[in-house]
Amino acid sequence: MATSDKLIQVQDLCKHYNHGALHALDGVTVDVNKGDVMVVIGPSGSGKSTFLRSLNLLETPTSGSILFDGVDITKKKYKDETGKTVKLNIDIHRQKMGMVFQHFNLFPHMTILDNMTLAPIQVKHMSKGLAEEKAKGLLARVGLEDRAAAYPIQLSGGQKQRIAIVRALMMEPEVMLFDEPTSALDPEMVGEVLSVMKELAQAGMTMVVVTHEMGFAREVGNRVLFMADGKLLEQGPPEQIFGNPVHPRLKDFLSKVL
Amino acid sequence: MITIEGFQAAFKFWMLFRDGLICTLCLSALTVLFGFILALFVALARMSKFWPLKALATVYVEVLRATPMLVQLFIVYYVLLAGVQLPTFRLFGIIPFERFFPGVIALSLNSAAYLSEIIRSGIQSIDLGQTEAARSLGMTQFQTMRFIILPQAIKNILPAIANEFVTIIKESSICYTIGVQELMFAANSVKTAIYSMGEPAIIAACVYFCLTFPTSKIIAYFERRMRRGDKR
Ligand SMILES: Nc1ncnc2c1ncn2[C@@H]1O[C@H](COP(=O)(O)OP(=O)(O)O)[C@@H](O)[C@H]1O
Ligand SMILES: [Mg+2]
Repeated sequence: MATSDKLIQVQDLCKHYNHGALHALDGVTVDVNKGDVMVVIGPSGSGKSTFLRSLNLLETPTSGSILFDGVDITKKKYKDETGKTVKLNIDIHRQKMGMVFQHFNLFPHMTILDNMTLAPIQVKHMSKGLAEEKAKGLLARVGLEDRAAAYPIQLSGGQKQRIAIVRALMMEPEVMLFDEPTSALDPEMVGEVLSVMKELAQAGMTMVVVTHEMGFAREVGNRVLFMADGKLLEQGPPEQIFGNPVHPRLKDFLSKVL
Repeated sequence: MITIEGFQAAFKFWMLFRDGLICTLCLSALTVLFGFILALFVALARMSKFWPLKALATVYVEVLRATPMLVQLFIVYYVLLAGVQLPTFRLFGIIPFERFFPGVIALSLNSAAYLSEIIRSGIQSIDLGQTEAARSLGMTQFQTMRFIILPQAIKNILPAIANEFVTIIKESSICYTIGVQELMFAANSVKTAIYSMGEPAIIAACVYFCLTFPTSKIIAYFERRMRRGDKR
């Protein structure tokens, strides 16, 4: 596979807490290719969130590197195309990585429309009219066009998470990161969020999804990573991970969740 | 001794109390305004990762909270602003600026120390997920503060800020010691005219009470209503 297909290259990524006593991430190396729907599974505390949050530097890795579009975003400076050394602006890279959180993190003091248009207007200097038009289009796509003027508190959990997804999409990211997007939802609302994610995957969006929804991993994912104790223990297509697991920790984990 | 005649005599000087009241209100309002702006910077400095800035802000807050207001007022008036030639006009034709201004500065410096702690706790009470969501959308630290954190924090601390306003109304009375013609100064002037301090002091107390008591009640009312709104 050509290098240009690699969107994110993670090299020997480590994250230590408590002065090195705790290895939340312990040497993870993996590539995310364009169009991948990569599902990360593993027991609680295995470092899945830390891995995902390192990708857009919400966590600062202790060591290792993350190449995004060929630029090592863990370094303060990098060389551009002309070979000039320039200062890394993490905000620009974060614009290209949408993130969806377990607890939605909508802005409670703003309407749904303002939640969606704030960053495009302030960060990308999009005109208000254009941003609102775009937001309404996305709201229609997730069946919430009538909630534009509502406040987050007036929405159900499933609706909030769908809004969080389209809010991230407003920035036209190259990759979407999901950290247990359905774990805080009542069971009857899980489906509506997963179906939005499935549509997104079918539209060709590159996605990294931490989830306990094994059905989603099997059906939508093209690659599954299994993590335990901060290590990437096994990876492969879903048929292989679920049908023919090798590592005893993975076998043990699957016997508990399936 | 307090007598009916004493009150009658004191009330003849009602315009002194009126001017004093205007001065007290101006003093308090400007103090809240300047104090708040300064407090915002102090609060941000205290949360800064740049340690000299953080240390400076911490020292500021601790020193101002650990020394008496009266001492701070004297230091501002007799030390900091001693060499400064302030313009000598009268605000609204009644308040001498060269005394009023040091009073506002001293009160603002003092209340900024308290307000900055209120603002800091307000900012820190906002869920970290809000910052993470904003930053993950590519917003800068400044944009996150301005559009996401501060609007929510200020809404939460509005009652505390209003209570600080009530405190300042009362504390502003010590500005009488540097000759600011606020309410206590008015009471003292009336004393000289009627040879009795009891009646003017009681009148001043009533005016302060009429200012602060309803204000606190109104704040408490809005606080209850706002909390109810949050649960909706
Ligand atoms: N801020 C932190 N301080 C200390 N330890 C942390 C911190 N964040 C995460 N950890 C630890 O790192 C490990 C991995 O956490 P996490 O990535 O959240 O796991 P997962 O998402 O797979 O449940 C856990 O042991 C957790 O307790
Ligand atoms: Mg997690």
